[in-house]
This record gives sequence, C-alpha cells and structure tokens, in this order.
Amino acid sequence: MATVPSTSPGARFIDPKLLARVGSLELAARFVVEGFINGLHKAPYLGVSIDFAEHRGYMPGDDIRRIDWRLFARTDRFYVKQFEADTNTNFSVLFDVSKSMNFGSRGLTKLDYGRFLAACLSYLSTKQRDRVGIVTFDEDIVERVPPSAKHFDVALHTLDKMSPQRPGRLGPPLFKATEFFKRRSILAIISDFYEEPVKVLDAVKPLRFAGNDVILFHVLDPAEVDFPYDESTSFQDLETGRKLPVVPDKLRDQYRELIRGHIEELSQLCKQNRIDYAFMNTKVPLDHALFKYLAMRHKLTKAR
Amino acid sequence: MAFLTPLFLAGLAALGVPLLIHMIQRQRTEVVEFPSLMFVRRIPFHSLRRQRIRHWFLLLLRCAALALLVAAFARPFVRSAALAAVGGGAREVVILLDRSYSMGYGDRWDRAREAARSVVQNLVAGDRATLVLFDSGVQAGAPSTTDQASLLAAIDGAEISAGTTRFGPALQFAQGILEDSDQPLLEAVLVSDFQQIGVDSAANIRMPAGTVVTPVSVGQIPEDETENVILMDASVQRDMFANQERAVVTARLANRGDASVDNLLVSLELNGYELESQPVTIEANSSATATFAPFALEDRAIPVSVRTAADALVHDNVFHFTVSPADVVSVLVIVGLGESDASLYLEQALGIGSSPLFRTAVRSVEDVTVEDVRAASVVILNDVGLPSDPVGEEISQFVSEGGGLWAVLGERVRWPGDRLDLLPGSLEGPVEREGRGGVLSFIDYSHPVFSVFSTPRSGDLTTPRFFRYRPIDVTPSASVIARFDNGDAAMVEHNVGAGRVLAWTSTIDSFWNDFALKSIYLPFVHKVVEYLAQYQPALPFLTAGQVLDLAQYPEAAEFNLSGGNIVVRDPDEDRVPVGGLDDDTRVGFVQLTEQGFYEIRDTAGGDGMSMRVAVNVDRDESNLAQADPQELVGIVTGRASGEGSAVAAREFKPEDLEQRQRLWWYFLIGAFGCLFAETVVSNRLSRTELNPDE
Repeated sequence: MATVPSTSPGARFIDPKLLARVGSLELAARFVVEGFINGLHKAPYLGVSIDFAEHRGYMPGDDIRRIDWRLFARTDRFYVKQFEADTNTNFSVLFDVSKSMNFGSRGLTKLDYGRFLAACLSYLSTKQRDRVGIVTFDEDIVERVPPSAKHFDVALHTLDKMSPQRPGRLGPPLFKATEFFKRRSILAIISDFYEEPVKVLDAVKPLRFAGNDVILFHVLDPAEVDFPYDESTSFQDLETGRKLPVVPDKLRDQYRELIRGHIEELSQLCKQNRIDYAFMNTKVPLDHALFKYLAMRHKLTKAR
Repeated sequence: MAFLTPLFLAGLAALGVPLLIHMIQRQRTEVVEFPSLMFVRRIPFHSLRRQRIRHWFLLLLRCAALALLVAAFARPFVRSAALAAVGGGAREVVILLDRSYSMGYGDRWDRAREAARSVVQNLVAGDRATLVLFDSGVQAGAPSTTDQASLLAAIDGAEISAGTTRFGPALQFAQGILEDSDQPLLEAVLVSDFQQIGVDSAANIRMPAGTVVTPVSVGQIPEDETENVILMDASVQRDMFANQERAVVTARLANRGDASVDNLLVSLELNGYELESQPVTIEANSSATATFAPFALEDRAIPVSVRTAADALVHDNVFHFTVSPADVVSVLVIVGLGESDASLYLEQALGIGSSPLFRTAVRSVEDVTVEDVRAASVVILNDVGLPSDPVGEEISQFVSEGGGLWAVLGERVRWPGDRLDLLPGSLEGPVEREGRGGVLSFIDYSHPVFSVFSTPRSGDLTTPRFFRYRPIDVTPSASVIARFDNGDAAMVEHNVGAGRVLAWTSTIDSFWNDFALKSIYLPFVHKVVEYLAQYQPALPFLTAGQVLDLAQYPEAAEFNLSGGNIVVRDPDEDRVPVGGLDDDTRVGFVQLTEQGFYEIRDTAGGDGMSMRVAVNVDRDESNLAQADPQELVGIVTGRASGEGSAVAAREFKPEDLEQRQRLWWYFLIGAFGCLFAETVVSNRLSRTELNPDE
C-alpha cells in the first residue's frame, strides 16, 4: 500500500485511494453529527437533545428546569424529562499486538492490516468529532492512549510504533482495560482471537457489561483460513515457539472445518451478547471490508 | 548364504536412496511459522502417527524389493553343508564296466557283470546310476536313471569288445556325468581287471571333490596259474618259384603263462580254409615260431589267418592279415653310350628286395625310347644329360605328370638349354676335394629319403668319402636336403608339376666317391627310388580301434568314394556305416571295432571292386600285468589310497552350487512379490485417504 508523505505521524496508513472511498462514509457520519440521521452510533448518555427519551421521578439534586410541569399538572408529581443526547462519544481501539498478529502470507501482516483498519476507524471517528483513544495489549496492556478529541495524532503514532513482542492473551488485559472506560465508549477490538470462543466472550463481556459498544474485528490471514500448505514439514507456533510435524494434505480439511467452526461460533456468541463481530480476511481489500461492515452496522442501527 | 558375485551387493547402497530422501525431507523442514497451532493440535494426532507407520510399511516393502533384486543379481547360494545332510542324501553312481578283450580271460567277464549287478541292486530310492562300458573308447550303456531294471538289462546285454584297456577316457566321461549331477553324493564304481597298460591314460583325470571311487578288481589270478599263449604276429617271406610268386608265413608265438605248453596246434588258414597245422612247444614265459609251407600268391590280396588252440584268453589266439602280390616299381636307368658298367652298383642294389620289387631297365642315351619312359615309374639319368627329343620331351612330360626323375650329375652331364626347368639349379664344373675328400655333413633327416637313417645305429651317412662333385647354383624354388662338409649341395629336391626331381651332385658308382661300397648304399638307393615313385606299401593288417581311411588305402584307389555305393561289412557280416567328412566332400572312413576281416565293396563297380582289410586286436592288451587299483584311485581322486573312502558329502564349487540351486530365481520372484504388494497396499491407502468415510 502506497504511503503519502505527511507531517502527521501515522498518516501513511490512510491511503488516499482508500480514503477516496471511505470519504463517502465520512459524509454519512457528517449527516449523523448534523442530525440528518442519528449517526452510526447513538449517544450512550441521556442529555440535552430534541429527542425525548423518558420520564423519571424527580430526585433531589436534579435541575428543576428539567421538571415536566405539564405532567406535574396532571399527576401532581414531579417528573423530569430526559432526552437522548446526540452528542460526541469516546471511540477506542483495543489492538492485539501479540506475536501471532505478526503473520502474513501475502506480504501484509495481520498487524499491518489491523493498523490500517484502526487508522481508518479512528479517522472516521475523528471526523464524527468523537474522542479517539487506543489501547494496545498482548498478554498485558502494552500502551494506552486515553480517548480525547486531540489524540488522533497520538493514536496514529502509537499505531505506527507498536511491534509484537510477546504472546497474547485476551482475558487479563481486557479485564484490566475495563477500568479505563468509565464513560461508555465504542470499543473496537482488533485481534486474531486465538482462544476458545467462550473465553473470548468471557474476556469481552466485562467491557460489554460496562455499557460499551464493543465491536470485534477478527483479522485473519488467508493462509490461516485456507491452510494452503503442501509439503510435510514442521510448523512453529509464533507465540509459543513450539514445533509440530504436520502433514498438511492430511489435515487440511479438518483444519478448515475447525477454523470455520471457530468463526461461526464466535460470531454466534457475539450475536447472542449483542456484540458486533466482523471477520476481516487480509486478502480482502480493507476499504471493501470496512465499507461492508459500516453498511451492515448502519442497517442494524436503523433496525434498532 | 553366500554370493557368487558379491560386488553386486554394492547395489544395496541404493537402499539408502529412499532413506536419504526421507531424511533429507525431514531435515529440509524449513520450519513454517504459523500464528497458532491451536487448531492443528486439535486434529487427532494418532491419525498422523498411523499415517507415518503406513508409510514406513511401504518403505519397508520397497526396500525389501530393492534388496531382493540386488541379492538376485549377486547370485546367492547356500553352502552344500546346509543343503545335504551329512552322511545322507541321494547318490549319483557311475558304473564303469571294462569290456576290453582281456576281460575275456577265464570268468572275468561274468564276475565283472555280477559286480555291476550288485552295485545296481544296492541302489536305494533316490539314487541314480549310469552304466558306462569302456575299452579304449567309451560307450554309455545306460543313461543316468533310477530304473534298476534298465540298468540290469544293459549289463546283461553288454559284450566284450576287441579294444584295449584305457581308463582315461572312461574316467573323464564319468567326471563329466558327476560334475553335471545335482545329487549330493557322488560315487564311481570301476569294475575292471586293472591292467597296467591302461593306467597312464588316467594321469590327468581328477574326479569332482568328494567323489568316492570304488575299484572292483576281477583280474586277480592265483600264482603260477596264468595260462595265455599269444600269437604275436606273422611275417611273410616271398620268393619266386616257376615264375610264380610264393609266400612263406612264419608265425611268432609267446607264452605268457607260468607253465610250458606242449604240442600246441598252430594252423594256417587261407580264405577261411585251413591249409596246414603243426604242433609247437613253447616254454613258460618264452616265445617260439612256426613256419608254414609256401603257397602261391594270386593277383589280388589273400586273407590269411594263423590260429592256435583256444586258451583262457581267446582274442589273442588268432592273427589275421592279407598277403598281396609284391608291388613292382619300374626303374629306367639311362646311361652314357658305352657306359653300361656305370650302373653296376645301382642295378645290384635295385635287384635286392621284394617289397617293393624293383624292375630295372638300363638303356643307353642313344637307345632309349619313348616307350621305355612310359613304362617306367622312375627315370634315373646316371651321369648323362637329358636325352634329346622326343625322349627328352617325354621325360619332361613324364615328370610333370607325377613321375620321378633322379639326375645323377657326373662329369658327362650336359643339359639342354630348353629343359633347364627340370634341374634344380645351374651346373658348374667338377670340383676336386683333396686328401681324404669330403663327407656329408648336413642331412635333412625329416625328409622321407633320410628319415630311415635318423635313429641311432640305423646307418651312418657320414662315412662315405666324396672326392669330386659338381657344384650347383640352387634355384630358390628348390630345397637342399643334403650338403657336403664345405657347404655345397649334395642332394637337391625340386618339384616339377606333380612329379619329383632329385639331383645328386656326385656319381652313384665308385668313380667319384666310395658311397657304393658302404652298407647304407642299398637302403639309400631304395629309399630314393621309393620316394620318387611315390610308393606306399600295402598294410597287411590294422588294429581294432583304428579308423580306416579308404582314400589312403592303395587297394581302394579305384573306388568311387563320393558315389554313395560303398558297402562295408564287419567280420560278423553286419553292415558297418561309412563315415564322411563334415562337409560331405568325401566318404570313406570306417571305424574298425572287431577282430577279423572287413569286406569293403563298391557296389557300382561289380565283383571286382572289393577288398578285404584284416583287423587284429592290440597285442599289448594280452599283457595281463595288473596295477594296484588303489593307486589308480589315488590318481583320480587326489587322495592317498584308502583315505576318504567313507561316503562324504560332496564339495561343490561355488559356481556349481549357484547354478544348481538357482536361488536368484526365488529372490527375483520375492522382489516382484514385494513390488506387487507395495502396489496393492499403496493403492488401497490412496483410496482410503481419498474416501475417509469408507
């Protein structure tokens, strides 16, 4: 992917060609911000808005300006009106930088692909006036950039300099990351999710239960999906370093079955837990995959 | 297990190829880095392991096929000890039965056949035996068989021959049979009277290792009981009586017995009819002669036999021969005019002798006629040059057509210039040898003229003194067969057409030398004339075992050998096949096997075209002196007598073992079997892997 010289660190990840297509999505985001549509995401908090959300009983401390006097006239009780705030939100990328992400059979590693993906999402969010942050993790938190409207550049810089060093785990770092997001956020977790789907969900659920809108970007290389190897040879696990003699011809079908089942199960579990799941094959152009996902999410948003 | 060509085993290195490939493949494993082996590990490992085992099985099959193939090419064999149980196993027995005529002495032949029968009857199941009858030749009485009945029948049908004992050919024949046999135990049983004369022929025979040679001697004769009178030979003396040639036969007899024989009747038979008989007394181990009354000869050969009363060995009690009228060689001696005395010594020398009879005609160079030349077999120019034509021309033609010319080159020889081709060189003037004269120093004793003088005490050709001679410048085509001590030629041979010319550079009277006064003069003259006449004496008899070549027999000269009408009958009146050369260019070879008279007839030529050939047994066979049988066994087995007489397992050469066992064939089948199994297994594996659900 060609890079464009830029003064902004990490700007090389935003391919002009890519952005030429993603730009239409940016227009869509602008429509959200300007209220033409409710955006790709709704404000997770109730606030000042023109869209009525609900009534609740008055509690000491509430602003008396928000008391619905009409309802008081009918019921002789104090209720305050709450509006869905169409306000900016936090957007954070949780990026798996474990060693397994440093794999690519076509020259482009999953890590690189994830970088582009994270950069695009961050750019989009920036365009939506969201606050952008990033957390990289492997078996622990590696780096954290808190969400901020001014942290786009820092996030890109973090994306640029990150490198896989250690094997990865999902549970501990994500549990730890739960502490970072006091305010409801949109969390895009980019990983290859080499764990049992149940464990993946166990790791993700705390974030979800904290009210965050969690999106799993499952990034895999085509070689991990198709297993195109022919010669009998030893395979080495990138994370553990363990070697295993493998006769690819004999286990290719079983492997494909297993990986397909893994993806399906993960997708199913995410669906059950109202977590967005997007499978990203690095052989599919990033813009294409991103556009497909955002289109799907837009559809789901309208359905909700 | 051993291998005949172990170098082929180097091919086993090829076994390393699949293993090497396997190892290379394992080492070549450029480790493929993969994000996570989480799913690979989930695939049941036992399926991989089983797959590898199956591959190893295929690898083993392939390696086995390759190894078997290599082993087959290395020609494996198993040592005999592993093949045959020690002291056991079937035998290959060759029974060698001597049928020479000495086996006819007393009851030897009956005892010999009984011994052979005993060997056959002692054969056990699995044993094979061959009956070989032998004398100087070999006849397979019965081929190698386990059928005792056929062997016994062959023994019963065997007969004594007229041949002599020679162990060599028989043992060599047995050696061939035993070497070709695949039986573990080899045995040769030699039934004979073990005459000493037959042992020498076995000097170079060596039976296969492990062969047991069992001698069965039937020749033992108690002391002082040998009884054998031999008719050794008969000589014929000729004389002329009333212008008719007569013959006197003298028979020589020998008594090899230990007791004198008194009044033994010896008879003379002509044409099968007894003419005369007379008693002869012979002392023990001595000889005697019997001379019969003369009888007139006919114009053709008469079959004559001399017989004695039969004794223990009958074959040597008769002697057959033929008596032909004396051969005549006509000699024309041409001398100078008025020099009739010059041939005195020559005429005297040619007048002596009866075989052949020389009929000499002396003519002066002026009187000689063309007819004289035509009637002669040999022309002697005694110190004269070639007569003038037409006699000179006739002599020249006579020589070129096969006649003989003896040119005695004395002082008066003047040779016409147009007939120089008859002379073996150009003549020079006489040379004087001063003092005691010269002698003959170089003599070609291989030449038929001089060969009779080659042995010691057979005449000294260096005693004559030569005082004068005529040097001759020999042409390259001529050959000098005698030279004087100064190197000049004394006798030169020159072939002209089919004829022969001998030039003698001195005289044959006593004028220039004293040769005529020496005792060797007469045989020298006879030999020169016989050689020039190309004379061949008729053979009065031949020996059983010889081959008669009719083309070499003077009496058969008129037979048409290539006409296919030659009929030969043996003494028993049975027809005998006439052999020919391989290319059928001519026939006329007859194998003489029986004692007596063979009659040979050219049926296309009428009754006149017949002849008889006398055949006698070899008298050497009558010498009944025995050799030690164990000595003969030691010669042919290479073991001292008595050693290794026990039946022992045979020791084969590795080549023989390999050829007999032919294990390579089984190895090859095994290799193909492995390859077939490999094909089946690999196909089945492939199907299973393609359709795992089946």
